[in-house]
Amino acid sequence: MVQVTNITTGQVLGDGEWIALTEICRVCRIDAGAVHELAELGVVSPRGKVPEEWEFPAAALRRLLLVGRLMRDLGVNASGAALAVELLEAQHALERQIHRLERLVRPEG
Amino acid sequence: MEYRDYYRILGVERAATAEQVKTAYRRLARKFHPDVSKEKNAEERFKEVQEAYEVLKDPEKRAAYDQLGSDWKTGQQFRPPPDWGSGFEFGGGGARAGRARYGAGPDEEAHAEQGFSDFFSSLFGGGSPFGGATRRGGRDHHARIDIALEQAFHGTTSTLELKRPELRGDGTLEVRTHTVRVTIPAGVTDGQLIRLAGQGEPGAAGGRAGDLYLEAHLLPHRLYQADGRDVTLTLPVAPWEAALGASIAVPTLGGPVEMHIPSGAQSGQKLRLRGRGLPGKPAGDQYVQLKVVLPPATSAEAKAVYEEMRARLDFNPRADLTG
Repeated sequence: MVQVTNITTGQVLGDGEWIALTEICRVCRIDAGAVHELAELGVVSPRGKVPEEWEFPAAALRRLLLVGRLMRDLGVNASGAALAVELLEAQHALERQIHRLERLVRPEG
Repeated sequence: MEYRDYYRILGVERAATAEQVKTAYRRLARKFHPDVSKEKNAEERFKEVQEAYEVLKDPEKRAAYDQLGSDWKTGQQFRPPPDWGSGFEFGGGGARAGRARYGAGPDEEAHAEQGFSDFFSSLFGGGSPFGGATRRGGRDHHARIDIALEQAFHGTTSTLELKRPELRGDGTLEVRTHTVRVTIPAGVTDGQLIRLAGQGEPGAAGGRAGDLYLEAHLLPHRLYQADGRDVTLTLPVAPWEAALGASIAVPTLGGPVEMHIPSGAQSGQKLRLRGRGLPGKPAGDQYVQLKVVLPPATSAEAKAVYEEMRARLDFNPRADLTG
C-alpha cells in the first residue's frame, strides 16, 4: 500500500463565516430545491434576497449535513428530516442537562 | 480480502424481491444509522448495511454478485474471478438505480468516504467494470475527528490516516493511505466543521481536488461539560463555604483562578467566570455549579457539631411541605 503524507492547516468554519448555496449543496449533497424547502421550514435561515444570492451561517452546515444524511440514508423527505433534526437536537440538549444533573447528585468520593 | 455475504447482512433470502431488499435496508438503516442509533458499533453495522444495499438494490450488480455463487461464507478469503463483470452491460454510474429521491443529492461513487470494504471496492469500485465514469473534479470527503477539551482550548496537531482508492494509469484500482497532519486552531467546538482545502478526492485530468471536511467531536471530560464555547464545572463546596462565603481556587481550562463564593449560596447555584470557556470572538464562559457536600458524621467531634447545630439552629428544610 502506498503511503503519502500531507501536512495541512484546517480552516474552522465558525461564527462569522458565510457559505454560498452552491457549496452547501455540494458539501451536504442536497439539491437546491431541498435547501429552499428547508429554509421555508425554518431549519436554516439564509441571507440574500433571492436563492441565487443565498448564503448560510457556518452553523447551518452541520444541520444540513445531518439533514442530507437522513434524506439519503433513510429515504425521508425534507419535512421528515427537519422534524428529525429538531427532535435529535432537543434530545441532545436533554442528555447534556441530565449529565449535568447527574454530576450534581452523584455522591462524592 | 474477505468475502461478504450481502444477503445475510440484510437478513434476506437470496430469492428476495427488490421490495423485500428495500424494506430490509430501511429497517436496518433506521436501526443502525449513526445519527439516530444508540446501538453498539452502529456506525460499523450501518456501513455494512449500506454496502450490502448498494449491491443488492442494483439489478446489474446483484446479478453479477449472484454469479459468484452461494457457497461462499462471510470471512472466507476471496479474489475476484478473472472474468469478473463480463457479460453485463454497464450504465456508467452503477448505483443510479433507486437514487431518484427528491432532495437527496448524488450518492453514487461515494464508497471511499463511506468506508466500504475492499471486497466491495474490488468488485464494484472505481477500477472495476461497474465503476462510474471518471469525474474531472474530485468529490469532497467527510470524516470525524475526536478532540480532547484541552486540545480544543489550546489548539492541536492531529494525524489522520485516510484510505483512498485511486485509479492507476492502467485503469486498475489502488488503495493509498494518506497521512494528513492537520493543525486545528484553538477554540473549535463540538460539531464544528474544519475544512482542509484540496484534501478530498483528487481531481482527474487536471480537475480540482475535493475538500476534506472534518467534523469535530469533543470527547467527554472528567471535570468539564462543554456546550458550544461555554463549559460547566461542578464544584464541591463545604456547607460553611456556601453559608458564609469563601474564596476558592477553581480549575479552568486555562489554569486555576480564585473565585469568590457569595454567602448564602445553595447547592445547584451557578456562578459565571466570564471568558474562561473555549477561546473565540467572543470567548465562552465557564459556569461553576455549586454542589454542597456534607462532612460525614463519623467522628465524635463531627457528631457533636451536628448535635449543636440541631440544638441551636432554627432550621426546617421541609418548611415548604407543610401548608
